[in-house]
Amino acid sequence: MKKIIKKYLKIVLTKTNILPYINTFKKIYNKHKRLYKTKKETLKKLKQIRLYKSKNIYKLINNTKVEVDINNHFVYSIDTLKQPIETNRIIGNITVDYERLLNTSLSDFENENNKKLIDSLKRLINKIEKEIKNSNNKYKEKILENLEEIKTSKATTLYSGMQRILFYNQVLWQTGHRLNGLGRLDKILQSLYEQDIKKNILTKENTKELITDFYLTLHKYYWFKSNVLMGDTGQIIILGGKNDDDTYFYNELTYIFIETIKELQIPDPKILLRVSSNNMPKDLIELAVKCIQTGIGCPLFSNDDVIIPKLIDFGYEKQDAYNYVTAACWEPIIPKYSLDQTNIMTINFLKPFNKMLANEDLNKNYTIGEILQKYTNYLKDYCNEVFCTLNKIEWQFDSYLSLLTSGCELEDISIKGAKYNHYGVNSVGLASVVNSIINIKKFVFDEQKYTLEELNNARKNNFNERNDIVDVLKNTENKYGVDNEEIINLTNYITGFVDTIFSEYRNKFNGKLKFGLSSPSYITEAEETDASLDGRKDKEPFTVHISTDSSNAYTELIQFASKLNYSGHRFNGNVVDFIVAPDFIENNFQKFIDFITLSIKVGFFQMQMNVLSSKTLIEAKLHPEQFPNLIVRVWGFSAYFKDLPEEYKEVIIQRALKNEGKM
Amino acid sequence: MLITNIQRFSLNDGPGIRTTIFLKGCNLNCQWCANPENISFEKEKYIKNNIEGIYGKNVTLNELEKEILKDKIYYETGGGVTFSGGEPLLHINELEPLLKRLKKQKINMCIETALMVSQENIKVVLQYIDTFIIDIKILDTNNCKKIIGGDINLYMKNIQTIFEQTQQVIFRIPLIKPYTYNKQNLCKIYEFLDKYKPLKVEIFKTHNLAKSKYESLNKKMIKIEEEISKAEIEEIKTNIAKFNINVEICTF
Ligand code: SF4
Repeated sequence: MKKIIKKYLKIVLTKTNILPYINTFKKIYNKHKRLYKTKKETLKKLKQIRLYKSKNIYKLINNTKVEVDINNHFVYSIDTLKQPIETNRIIGNITVDYERLLNTSLSDFENENNKKLIDSLKRLINKIEKEIKNSNNKYKEKILENLEEIKTSKATTLYSGMQRILFYNQVLWQTGHRLNGLGRLDKILQSLYEQDIKKNILTKENTKELITDFYLTLHKYYWFKSNVLMGDTGQIIILGGKNDDDTYFYNELTYIFIETIKELQIPDPKILLRVSSNNMPKDLIELAVKCIQTGIGCPLFSNDDVIIPKLIDFGYEKQDAYNYVTAACWEPIIPKYSLDQTNIMTINFLKPFNKMLANEDLNKNYTIGEILQKYTNYLKDYCNEVFCTLNKIEWQFDSYLSLLTSGCELEDISIKGAKYNHYGVNSVGLASVVNSIINIKKFVFDEQKYTLEELNNARKNNFNERNDIVDVLKNTENKYGVDNEEIINLTNYITGFVDTIFSEYRNKFNGKLKFGLSSPSYITEAEETDASLDGRKDKEPFTVHISTDSSNAYTELIQFASKLNYSGHRFNGNVVDFIVAPDFIENNFQKFIDFITLSIKVGFFQMQMNVLSSKTLIEAKLHPEQFPNLIVRVWGFSAYFKDLPEEYKEVIIQRALKNEGKM
Repeated sequence: MLITNIQRFSLNDGPGIRTTIFLKGCNLNCQWCANPENISFEKEKYIKNNIEGIYGKNVTLNELEKEILKDKIYYETGGGVTFSGGEPLLHINELEPLLKRLKKQKINMCIETALMVSQENIKVVLQYIDTFIIDIKILDTNNCKKIIGGDINLYMKNIQTIFEQTQQVIFRIPLIKPYTYNKQNLCKIYEFLDKYKPLKVEIFKTHNLAKSKYESLNKKMIKIEEEISKAEIEEIKTNIAKFNINVEICTF
């Protein structure tokens, strides 16, 4: 790699700060490695990489190479070899104001500041038009009309509107933005759809064809869009949702979007269904469950009854709160005008706990209350370190995003911010801390089976030759995920403490900081965290989101999750994660629907399901070639099982086995 | 009250979503029993994966009530609590105050029973129970006595008593060769079903999921000599359906 960079960097060595070049280059290299089989092929491509300064993003757009498909209703082309240099962090993981884009033409946006940018976008459209004209695309006449409209008027048909969304979305990726959400498409496209149906220029069947191509188009650069792991693209479409008069919003498009992805069986883009116990049609839940049942891992359910009040309490305006979408996975955000960066980093609840165990004199006769008190001291220090890291973040100058964000017409979003500018973090290790404390209480204080020092020594030794202790620590009945008052209170106490600490934080835009219990880094963070008193060994993966490692009843886990306190700053994505055996839903369909419907009422925050059998997974791990299309839900996204690193495969298999009571 | 387990989100023990309570102790001894830890009336030590434990836990009625009510909201669509075992009817005197309280709170109640208990017990529960889930095992007097240690005449009397008062009965037939699945017993079962028409009949193969439980108790599980085929089960289903009875093959 070094050699390659050296060779490549000859071109740019004259530049002052070369680190951003190297990093951007590396990123692009790694992505292309996914696509090209041999190193030779990859290197050949690398020669064509061109990087652009963020201030000159219009140049990048001007130089974009365009390719068009023949059998697609849409054109969508990303030149994966041209990207901006990441001098700072690029704002990402957001959903832009597609609604506004549908209702305005490119010319409407023009002002003195953005002339070059608008010109480059028009030029890009012209370039695509030229390509399409010369191609054999069977829809080319229509496509040309649709493209022309982007420049000059608002979108006049559903078809044209969808092309427009794709165009702006394509440029987001082209200009280095990652994890680009699509927003509430059933809502945004409703009026165009209804108008076309009325005018008889569209039928439900045509719409399905359009949406099929729309999905496939977004899926096209899967390898390039995937972030950390293949599948992690953040292309999320939000459907349904509560209106501010408490009625439930849905329409025919809601159904068509779900039906189409169910039939297509691709892991990305993914859908999220906003649910509510108020007036939500039963057949919509049934359709969603049928979709989940196919194993593609979506839709995810997001409970408006619980989430919206939290958003309002936090400070989002009512109408914005009701219009929430989510960032790549679960974190509620406001579309249109926010710089909310909800997935900036991960906090690790266990690190300060283990640090306390390592630093404190455990010979002293502490009470359990004192241990908890000490933990919170360490936790506070840890949070302060997190604040320092956050304060160092600079955002990359971003004229394209500024163009798409209402209110950022005159000053760049990276400098001025937008209407909302909150930061958010995910978390791992809370279950380990809760279980560690419960274990200390039980085995050190109540039963006096071990001394704290004895346990800690075993822990420090990674429980070497003390598997007896691991068995004891792991096999307690009372643990995170169990519907038990003591556990729930302890969990809420810890999150409440962090909530208070977080309330003191403000970022440079005067935005606040929120956190959630969803844990996308349950493997990567665990690799850097030593053994813990829940019986977890060094590097052993953490619990995934809100789930248990025992085969608890689903209702029990939902009751547990629903009793957790998500108020204050604690609403940054809190997903309950289930593994369900494939025939379980089939054999109990009606009762399963009742379960989902009633669980919404009980009040989970969010819920996702992985429909898997351990048998299939084990076979797929051994013979990936026989299961090329097997899809699993990984953390907040779905991916092809064959694309996952081995350790992820293993965790999913273990969880499936536990769910089936085989472990 | 000695119980072995409280199973929430139980979907196969009556209507809706239920919580099933497993009471410890049974007067029969079916060799295929799926809950061998529920036969003895005493606590039992076990060893599973090298970890020792005890089957059986004493709980108060208050504690039980609290656990049952935890999932109350899930009972809305017809669900509730199911008392299973062992033979729950043997514990009925101890349990009655709880049944009374649950009845007051309109919690739907099922009982899963082999029904070979004294008539007195039946009379007590009839006031509370919404649905009876009753096993049909071996209907021949001698074989019943010999193989599972049960009194079929007592069973028939109890059936009579129950059907005089309610139709809310689900029959459950474990199919196992040669004990319950043999020509003679099946004929008797059909005759019986023609006479006593339940809400539903559930038929199922016995399985070896309980094997690890037997091992943990250092007991031997019977070897199933000959598996029952899909076609054989389907045939029984068809035969029962002829009596205009709703019949379901269960896979648990
Ligand atoms: S009646 Fe039920 S609990 Fe009792 S031994 Fe037979 S199968 Fe087991």
